[in-house]
Amino acid sequence: MLEFNAPLSTDVLVVGGGIGGLCAAIASARTGARTMVAEKADTRRSGSGATGNDHFACYYPKAHGSDIRVILKELRQSLVGAYHDEKLSLRFLEESIHMVDRWQEWGINMKPFGDDYEFMGHAYPGRPRIWLKYDGHNQKQVLTRQAKKEGVEIVNHLPVIDLIEMDGEIAGALALDVSKDTPTFTVIRARKVVLSTGTANRLYPAAGSPGWPFNTAFCPACTGAAQAQAWRIGAKMVNMEMPNRHAGPKFFARAGKSTWIGVYRYPNGKLLGPFVDRATRYVGDITCDVWNSAYTDVLLNGSGPAYIDCTQTKPEDLAFMREGMISEGLTTLVDYMDRTGLDVSRHAVEFMQYEPHIIGRGLEIDIDGQTSVPGLYAAGDMVGNFRADIAGAAVYGWIAGGHAGASAASCELKNAETSPWVAERAQLYSSFVERESGAAWKEANLAVQQIMDSYAAAGPHRLRSATLLTAGLKYMADLRKNAINEISVPDAHSLMRAIETLDLMDNGEIVMHAALERKETRGMHQRSDYTFTNPLLSDKFLEVWQENGTVRTEWRQCWN
Amino acid sequence: MPPVIDPSKCVGCGTCADICNSNIFVFDRSRDKMPQVKFPEECWHCDSCVLDCPKGAITLRIPLAFTLLHVDAGSLKPQEAKS
Repeated sequence: MLEFNAPLSTDVLVVGGGIGGLCAAIASARTGARTMVAEKADTRRSGSGATGNDHFACYYPKAHGSDIRVILKELRQSLVGAYHDEKLSLRFLEESIHMVDRWQEWGINMKPFGDDYEFMGHAYPGRPRIWLKYDGHNQKQVLTRQAKKEGVEIVNHLPVIDLIEMDGEIAGALALDVSKDTPTFTVIRARKVVLSTGTANRLYPAAGSPGWPFNTAFCPACTGAAQAQAWRIGAKMVNMEMPNRHAGPKFFARAGKSTWIGVYRYPNGKLLGPFVDRATRYVGDITCDVWNSAYTDVLLNGSGPAYIDCTQTKPEDLAFMREGMISEGLTTLVDYMDRTGLDVSRHAVEFMQYEPHIIGRGLEIDIDGQTSVPGLYAAGDMVGNFRADIAGAAVYGWIAGGHAGASAASCELKNAETSPWVAERAQLYSSFVERESGAAWKEANLAVQQIMDSYAAAGPHRLRSATLLTAGLKYMADLRKNAINEISVPDAHSLMRAIETLDLMDNGEIVMHAALERKETRGMHQRSDYTFTNPLLSDKFLEVWQENGTVRTEWRQCWN
Repeated sequence: MPPVIDPSKCVGCGTCADICNSNIFVFDRSRDKMPQVKFPEECWHCDSCVLDCPKGAITLRIPLAFTLLHVDAGSLKPQEAKS
């Protein structure tokens, strides 16, 4: 058995120091609660927001007027999609501008163009613009600095690998110290826990380069840890069966598509989308946000490839786009283009649709950000009934952290390290290190990807069915058994990756269980055995969870 | 493989190894003069190490499989029918 360090104790434990986690931690600390962030890498550069972002969904009455529902409609029809409980979206919008004010005060430049906030991009022509354009290149450093200033304790290179529940409530977490070559365990006792582990990537083969699992649009170190860990202790998930696929340049998978200011064209010059024939900094071509299956369609029907063409964009808007890419954290792309002579004023860059990943699907939260497990909260990309990307993570992180901090004092701190669950999980993970030779974690990760791609594929042009999903669940269970019996790791880093791979197996199983129950076709969840989109399910969400080892599902009405 | 550290510029501060979000470096301050890129194929190419290196000692080499596919925009027009 790997060694255990002395247990740590805190009032509020935040799992993952991304945008949601750091904002949750600051809000928690402001209530007076002792607050700790356990981070897999280093909060200054971890997660999908590592090097920046440039758009923040926000309701700003001064610019948008007094009717919040007009902005709610735009939010639901934008890139963040429709899988929201409306009452959560409304609370997010109500509080969003205050978060923007805080970020501005802390040192993230939310007003890069003058004295007031400006809204640009990710918008339909003639409609209100809800995405505040900002310069987020230093967002992680600023939030880290602010968290420390507020008294938050940040422990880097300490990924949480399991949650500990005692007497029906959260009691803490088991973490893995990966700061040295030899891994060790640390139990963190906590009165409340906030999960904020980001998107789940590496679940499906990378669409651009299938042999290269880390060529992902979002951070490849984010692997659905929150969904998996919470699933294992019985938390409810929603919308996991609804696939999401991002789009962007080919073959270098990268988010930030709408920072590009151009229009999408077929090889014959015809426009791909119906929205604009000339892009500006204010209204680009929203095709990529809301109809990104088009990039797959044009490949499979032979009419492609599809390109982004920025050559008709005004020179001042091209310069603006370059600055926007730096704010968005795309310095790698900017450098690459400079080094290779790729010039957007002359060249058209092919775009593609990336593989499915999990964003805005997962943990069901209530209006305060609490999950179905008392004391366990979630904020950010791994929440299943609300999504607004970085703005959503920031605002709901703030709400969840504030609620967790304010209610922590009423809970007792339990000796989480005595839970039999800790011993069981530690024994499993230790066996990978103790086994002298065997399977590498990468074999298991690629095996997860090939099962998901064959048996739980996402549209367009790929179908699911009861027989395929049932086979997929059987094969995933076989894989899990084989992986547990065969994985061998040489160091802490590889153990972390092996545990991520087990988390991905849980994510895959949740997707397949939920996809089996959704007996209809909707979005990119396309069933060959249920081709109809059932209007009766339009305002319902599918909950899925485990109870005493049995998978349960239940349809519920959306919360309006 | 990405990233590439220039040993003539690296001062062994370990910033890159600390901040990498995919933990691809190893660096033992008591033993190593400079960080080693131990898991290059796990690089996300996010540029954090390039941006944060105080000596500008790191460049990212982009793998061939990540090439940005592009054409001359002037070629995006109806193809002339062949006689």
